Amino acid sequence: MSTREMVGGEAAGARRRLRAPARAWWLRLGSVLVVLIVWQLTAPLVNPLFLRPPSAVVSAFVELSRDGTLPRAILESLRNFLLGFGIALAAGLLLGIAAARWRSFQHLTDPWVAALYSLPSVALVPFLSLWLGVGNAPKVAAIALFAVFPILINTQQGVRLVDPELLEVARSFCSSERRLWLHVLIPGALPMIFAGVRLAIPRALVGMIVAEFLISFGNGLGSLIIVYQNVFRVDRMFVPVIVVAVMGVIFIGVVQWLERRVAPWAHREQ
Amino acid sequence: MAELIRVEGAAKRFANGVEVFVHLDLTVIEGECLCIVGPSGCGKTTLLRAIDGVLPLDAGRITIGGEEVRGPRRDVAMVFQGFGLFPWKTVEQNIAYGLEMAGAPRSLIRERVARQVELVGLRGFERALPYQLSGGMRQRVGLARALAVEPDVLLMDEPFGSLDALTREVLQDELLRIWQVRPVTTVFITHSIEEAIALGDRVVVLGPRPARVRTVLEVGIPRPRSVASVIAHPSFVQLRDRCWSVLRDLEAA
Repeated sequence: MSTREMVGGEAAGARRRLRAPARAWWLRLGSVLVVLIVWQLTAPLVNPLFLRPPSAVVSAFVELSRDGTLPRAILESLRNFLLGFGIALAAGLLLGIAAARWRSFQHLTDPWVAALYSLPSVALVPFLSLWLGVGNAPKVAAIALFAVFPILINTQQGVRLVDPELLEVARSFCSSERRLWLHVLIPGALPMIFAGVRLAIPRALVGMIVAEFLISFGNGLGSLIIVYQNVFRVDRMFVPVIVVAVMGVIFIGVVQWLERRVAPWAHREQ
Repeated sequence: MAELIRVEGAAKRFANGVEVFVHLDLTVIEGECLCIVGPSGCGKTTLLRAIDGVLPLDAGRITIGGEEVRGPRRDVAMVFQGFGLFPWKTVEQNIAYGLEMAGAPRSLIRERVARQVELVGLRGFERALPYQLSGGMRQRVGLARALAVEPDVLLMDEPFGSLDALTREVLQDELLRIWQVRPVTTVFITHSIEEAIALGDRVVVLGPRPARVRTVLEVGIPRPRSVASVIAHPSFVQLRDRCWSVLRDLEAA
């Protein structure tokens, strides 16, 4: 390869690197548009009881927003979600840290964590409603139950996997136990903890929707899906589904943003 | 010259029964730099960790200033082979670490950290995180962190082993310069004979496992030194050859 070609190749490479994200975005947008157009064109060929075109979903969205049904549903589900996720976060961090700190505590919790995590959490939702009634409490509990395990397990593993050389540094500099946690173990575990939180979000959303399916009291997003299914309003059924998808994307985005702020080193270490 | 560190009849074996050293005796004189060389796996790092108080001996004892080492001490600071920097702490925060663990007041920490940043040449990088630094810069931080607690004993465990040859020589010169400014009794472990002669007042050659002291060489090259001046010194080649012949005999045996 001649020098000129190499220089040219390098410039083209640089241009390609600049263009690559733009190209990726066009492909993504194109993919969504194609599906929407095909859906729009083929929907009229199907019985409207089973499928309505995206335009009908959009007008259903507008209707449900205007009459307050959708905002109320979002508010109810969101409140349960935040409460349940908050409980899962607190419990997961505390139990995870305790299990990493005391071997015997880990042995005590191990069988329960293993059993409850491998069991499909859905199976426990009827118990939650039996014990906690039919209000918001069992729904909050379901969200917490779905979300807690990835946070707990990742916290525990994150503390365990802190670089042993750093533990030696702490010992060598006569760190106290409290300072060991504050300066070394918790910051060291942060990347794993964040990964656990990211895994917990979609699980918590599943818990939220499933609890609303199974506990018929309430007007959350999951309840709307069931309500409109019963009256064959497939256009309206799509509205809460899309809202939940958007919620998931936003929550994960927020956590990723937080992680870049709080733990900027995590993805740059070799 | 008073001896500061004394290792007497030290013995250590691993959990699997392998004897690292059986009956090791060693003294470090106050104010000197003692370099320890030996074949890899001969227990140099194990010995240093024992002096640091993070690894108990199976037999024998280590005293620092007449006091037996029973655990990590605040007047002993270690510079680690893999730097041992906290990835989530900035350069300043990493340097401040030892002082914070000692519960030093804020004002003292600020003053000492600023002085160390200046001393090891990290000005302008105070707010950088370790991943943003080169290997040489990282070990400057490791050195500054150890010096910041103003230890009586500085332990260095192959601190420049993972650096490229050029950076290595720059840091050796830096260390020689820093000792002039701030003398401190140092135990320096290396697998490079040249490095041991360039930095040490005395060089201890350890044999293979179970390690014993085979030879102690007086370097006798006057300070202030630089790596270049040591290599150019008439006794350098002779010292190196003596080290080599001891190590070669160990290989043959």
